Order: sequence, then C-alpha cells, then structure tokens
Amino acid sequence: MGAVVGTLTLQTRQRRPSNDKFYDDLELSVVCHRPEGLEQLEAQTNFSKKELQVLYRGFKNECPSGVVNEDMFKQIYSQFFPHGDASTYAHYLFNSFDSSQNGSIKFEDFVAALSILLRGTTTEKLQWTFNLYDINRDGYINKEEMTDIVKAIYDMMGRFTYPALKTDTTKQHVDAFFQKMDKNRDGVVTLDEFILSCQEDENIMRSLQLFENVI
Amino acid sequence: MAAGVAAWLPFARAAAIGWMPVASAPMPPPPREKRRGQDGLIILNVSGTRFQTWRNTLERYPDTLLGSTERDFFFHEETNEYFFDRDPDIFRHILNFYRTGKLHYPRHECISAYDEELAFFGIIPEIIGDCCYEEYKDRRRENTERIQDDEENENNNDLVLPEMSFRESMWRAFENPHTSTMALVFYYVTGFFIAVSVMANVVETVPCSSGPNRAKEVSCGERYALAFFCLDTACVMIFTVEYLLRLIAAPSRYKFVKSVMSIIDVVAIMPYYIGLVMTDNEDVSGAFVTLRVFRVFRIFKFSRHSAGLRILGYTLKSCASELGFLLFSLTMAIIIFATVMFYAEKGSSATKFTSIPAAFWYTIVTMTTLGYGDMVPKTIMGKIFGSVCSLSGVLVIALPVPVIVSNFSRIYHQSQRAEKRRAQKKTRLARIRATKSSGANAYLQYKRNGMLADAEEEASKEAGQSLVCKTNPTFETQHHHLLHCLEKTTNHEFVDEQTYETNCMEVSLTKPSMSRSSSLSSSPHGLSSCCTRRNKRKSFNVSNSNMVGGRRGSIQELSTIQIRERPMSNSRSSLNAKFEETVPLNSEEQSYITAAVISMPTPPVTTPEGGDSVSSHDFLQSNIVRVSAL
Repeated sequence: MGAVVGTLTLQTRQRRPSNDKFYDDLELSVVCHRPEGLEQLEAQTNFSKKELQVLYRGFKNECPSGVVNEDMFKQIYSQFFPHGDASTYAHYLFNSFDSSQNGSIKFEDFVAALSILLRGTTTEKLQWTFNLYDINRDGYINKEEMTDIVKAIYDMMGRFTYPALKTDTTKQHVDAFFQKMDKNRDGVVTLDEFILSCQEDENIMRSLQLFENVI
Repeated sequence: MAAGVAAWLPFARAAAIGWMPVASAPMPPPPREKRRGQDGLIILNVSGTRFQTWRNTLERYPDTLLGSTERDFFFHEETNEYFFDRDPDIFRHILNFYRTGKLHYPRHECISAYDEELAFFGIIPEIIGDCCYEEYKDRRRENTERIQDDEENENNNDLVLPEMSFRESMWRAFENPHTSTMALVFYYVTGFFIAVSVMANVVETVPCSSGPNRAKEVSCGERYALAFFCLDTACVMIFTVEYLLRLIAAPSRYKFVKSVMSIIDVVAIMPYYIGLVMTDNEDVSGAFVTLRVFRVFRIFKFSRHSAGLRILGYTLKSCASELGFLLFSLTMAIIIFATVMFYAEKGSSATKFTSIPAAFWYTIVTMTTLGYGDMVPKTIMGKIFGSVCSLSGVLVIALPVPVIVSNFSRIYHQSQRAEKRRAQKKTRLARIRATKSSGANAYLQYKRNGMLADAEEEASKEAGQSLVCKTNPTFETQHHHLLHCLEKTTNHEFVDEQTYETNCMEVSLTKPSMSRSSSLSSSPHGLSSCCTRRNKRKSFNVSNSNMVGGRRGSIQELSTIQIRERPMSNSRSSLNAKFEETVPLNSEEQSYITAAVISMPTPPVTTPEGGDSVSSHDFLQSNIVRVSAL
C-alpha cells in the first residue's frame, strides 16, 4: 500500500525538472557570442594584445557562452563582498556596462568599459561614473538616484560595521555629496557640474589613478 | 566559481572607480605588486609528461603547492621547467582543478594514491565537486575499514607480547580459539555440549514407546527423567564454568555483561537454576514449564562458533529500518483487508469471520500466500477482496526483501574478503620478508667488505658483491655510510635473522632477567617508533580532512613526516617489530627525502571596518584564499 503511494509520488517529482531543463537548454543554445577579432578590439580600446588575451581568458572561463547575464554578474560580484549584499550595486554596474541595454554583457562591452576605467582620461572616467549614477539616463543626477547609489554602496558593507550604521547615514552622505557637486543649487547635478566639482577635489583626482596597474 | 572569481578581480577593482566621487576621504595607496611577473606559460614536467598552463591559472589558489612560492623548490634550471616526480595521471586531475575550479575524483584510481597526491600538492579533499564527492567518501570509508580490519587482525595475531597476564591470555584464548591448542579444545568441547544440550531438549519431547502395562504414551523425557536430568546438569555446569571464566577474563566486565552473547549465556543457564530452586511448589510449576522454553536459546550460543550466523544477525540489525518498514506496511495492509473482509462476509451465514481480529488471521495467511484454507470467504464481494488481498500481499513483501538481501551480500562478501586476506597474508609476509632480508644482506655484505677493507679473502659470492659495491655509484656508498652512522648512533649493529635469533636464545638461556631487558630494550623502541609513526600517519589523514585553517603549523610538521614516511607504508604492515634492525633499515631505504616543507602562508585577514573601500581589497585577497580552501 505504501509502495503504491511511493511510486505515485516518484512520478510527479520526475516530471517537473524536465520542463525547466528544456527552457534552460533553449536559452543557452540561442545566446552564444563570439567577440570581434583581437586587432579590432585592440584598436577600439586602450589595451594591448596581451592584456586583452588575459582579460578574455578570465571572461570566457567564467562565462563559456560568451555573455554575462545579470544574475551571473551579480553572483560574481557578490563573491567579492561576502559581508554584505552587493546585488543592488551590481545591478547598477550591470546597467552601466550593458551599453546595448539588452540584459547581457558581451565581451566587447566588458572590455570597452574596462578600457575607460583603467586606461581612459580622467574626463572619460568621470563621464562613466556620471552614467553610473544617472540611473534613468536623463542627464541629471537627482537626490533619489544618488540616495539609491549610496544606499547600494552601504549595503555592500553589511550589518557589522564600526561605527555602527545609523538610519540617516545615507542621507547625510547624499547631502554632503550634493553640497559639493551641485553648484547652482538647483537640486540636480549635471555632467558639467559633476566634472568640474570632481576636478577641483584633489582626493578624487588622485584616487582615479589608483587602479591603473590592475592588470 | 572560485576559479573564475579570481580572474574577475581586476574588473571589480576597476569598477571601484564608481565609488570615488562619493567618498569623502582620500583613498589609501594601492598595494605594491611584488611578484607581478608577466603572465607567461609555465611548463610542469610530471615524470616526463609535460603540462603547460598559464602562470595566472596556477596562482588562483595561492595556498597550494603550485600556486605559492613552494613550486620554486621544484624548478629545474637546465630545462626551465618545474619538475615533479609524481604520477602524471593523477596530476591531470589536479591541474584541471586549477583550470576549472572543480576537483574530480577518477573512479579507477586507488583512493590512497589519490589522497597522497592531493596531500603533496596541498589540496584538501573537501573541495571535490559534488559529482564525485559521494564516490570519494565511500571509497575512503571502505579503505579505512579495511585498514582497521588489518590492524585488528594484526593485533590479534601478534605473537610478541611478552608481558601478558594470565587473565589477558585467557581472554585472548576465548576470543581467538586458534591461537593455542587449549583454546581450541575448549572451543570444541563447548560446541559439543551445546549440540548435546539442544538435542536433549528436542529428544525429550518425543513420545517413547511405553511398556505393556501403561495405557497412554509417555514422552522420553518423562520415561528417562533421571538420565535427562543428569545430562542437563552436566551441560549447565559446563556452561556455567565457561561463563564464569569469560567473566573473569574479560578486560571490561561491565561491557562484557552488557554484550549480547553474555545475555544469551545467562538466559541459557538460568532456567535450570530457577528450576532447582523451586521444584516442589505446585503453583509456579506452570511457570517453570514455560521457563524451559528458554533452554532453546542455547542454540544461539552457536553464533560464537559460526561466522555466518553472526553475519546474519548483523545484517538484520543493519537492516532494521527496512524491516521496520516492512512490518509497518504489512500491519497497515492487514488491518485494512481484515476490516474489508469482515464487513464483506458479515452477511453470509455461519461465517468464520466473526470479528475483525478473527479476520486478521485470514489476512496474514492470504498475504503471505500460505492459504491454509481454514477460513475462506463465501460471498462474491468477499472473494473479490480476498484476491486483491493476496495480490497486494505479494507486492508488499517482495519490496523490502532485495534491500535486505543486498545488505547481507555486501556484509558477507566483506567478511569473505577478510578471510581471504588473512589467508593470503602469510604468503605475502613471507615474500616481503625475503626481499627485505636480501636488502639487509647487501648492507651486511658491505659492512663485512667495507669495514674489513683488507680482508679480500672472502667467499666468491661476497667478492662478487664487493666488486659490485665498488663500481656502484655514490648512492650505495652514501647509503651504507648512513646506515653505519645509524649504527654508531644507536650503539647497535645490524645483524641478519639467524644471528639475531641465536643471540636471543643464548642470551635468554644465560641471563634471563637482565639480558632480556637489554635485548628487548631496542625492540620496544622499534615498536614505539613504528607505532608512533603510524599514529602520526593516521592523524595526518584525519587532520587533513578537518583542516579549516587553524592548524597550519602542525600540518607542516605532519606533512614532512609523512613525506619521509611514505616509502615505508607498504612495508609497515608486514614487519613485526621483532626485527628491530630492519626498522631503521627501511626508514633509511629511500634516503632521497625531498626537502619540501609544505608551507601555507596564513593570509592577513583584515576586517573591512571603517568603510574604506580600497582596504577591503586586502580582504579580497584573503577572501579568495579562503574561498579556494573551502
């Protein structure tokens, strides 16, 4: 009697995963991307051939299909920040990397963004950062967007910090930011205001050069 | 995931530029990259098979041999490659671990060889991927069980325990009857009496032909009451003596009293004594009769004599859950069908199904396909349900049986293997001893040749040996020199087997007490050294699996010892400690000890407190180490 019931439950359990597998296979087979040739990438970016090779090997190892989707991206990025929750910031990063806004990052996007970040001029870097902060791509950073970004950064810290996070830490931080950046006090920061304010700040300019030798 | 994550670190650091404008304080300076070599190809030559990989691939796991500076010890200048004198087949899997981040266990490899390779390259087996982890664990467990079995047998067959008390020797005689003739005799005598007692119990109920005067038949037990009583008394006396002796000899009396066999012994002899005490009391004589039933438990005493019986008992114990399931499902089915049959047959007249419990009997008999026929359904509904009952009975009983059978077969084959190994061990030991003695002889020859340098008038064989010794490369001479140094150190000399035994006998004849201690003083040393080394080896295996990062220092020492000790591992099991001279001989046999110490640098764990985003990248490095070590 129990055996009969057992066999019945076995059957139902088997049927479910096969549906998911089918869709997974479909997705993988459709999305498989090869990047442009090495020479073209070298021309488009500021990397040498060797550096591109190193980057591609790391990229392909983690994403054999040639593209990164948002979940994978969040997973990879979260591994570097196990204390807190890096998924929100990863989401914003993903959007800024994904130039074609189709939900996946190809190697060209990846390398293009890295080229700016590691080998670009300070203006390019600041432009990239502005695009990162400007979540809705309207050309202005308002307080809500900035609050989201700062909150995402604080989320990566996790709960256990010293000194302890208070409820208005984020707000204070955003206010300080706007104090510095918003020159004409209109409540939004434009690209020019942003670049100008950052160029005035020694610390920021110096820290932009920090990661040049990363590869 | 861990493999690719390291490769994405540059990206994560670059993306940190996004935090810069938000930060209100200056960033700390970037770390100085110490060993930032070019990302070149590294050639790994493993016993002739060349593997090539990127340097970055290997450096993904900096707490392993290949990923740390430890590999520099294996760098071969002339060929500009890293040379490892290890198994290339297993190395393939280890290198794949660096490439893909997943460690796989190949099914055809020996588990101990694989473990050794992992230990050498500083990889803990816990990171074996899920696909292969089950198999690895199973094989590991089998292997440890086998080693334990071997050790138990060794300890049992150890002939050299000089200081064994009478009590201990008696216990050994009880547990292993084949160790001495007295034990064997005792074993057979008790077996005989168990059989006699059981036969007597059986025969005394058989009806004997009565004399012509009597009307009814009498059982043999009542006819020859005195004879049976005497027989019973004799058997019970033997059993009592045996039980008391076992109780005295047991190393842990409490454990012995709790064990199953002793309970069976007690239950076997108790009815007799109880019967002695209360023979004439009429009220309890009925109870006394039932007590006699317990005499049949004497048959279980045979399980000491039969391994198969023990295996059966062990199987039933290990299949307890399957048996429980069988019982439970049967009970459910019985209740259901009994109820149904009762109500189906309620209408018919003069039915035997008077109640549901009465229908239980029918259900059981039908489900086990016995079908006595004393209760049969008469109505049509009853017959339909009766057939359904018998069909389902077959199914329910057939299901758990294969599980029990496979368990029994596995345990039985294991015990068979143990028996076979015990039988083969003697020939194996003899063969190994022969090769060892030839090696020892080479050294002894060298001693006689080298020491007595001017004694060239040796036998032709030895002269030949000396010639060979001289033309041998420096290895032999250095080896011999080493053994010589050892001799000087311990103030003992290497001798061959016969000389040793004759010496022992001489010494024991002349000076029993004092010389015994001197001649045996070296053997406990050998004993303790080999035992401690074995313990260290075992504990290394254990701590390897438990390593979480705290005991790095101790692992260093253990691993160096293990490296030195590994060549001995084959000979370890075969050598008894009585050849104390062969123990140090073998320890120096492979004098090529690689000086590699597995150093595992503990990464600096900086907690990212204070909100500095760049300082957390130090933590990233340590984090990645920890991820890979998981």
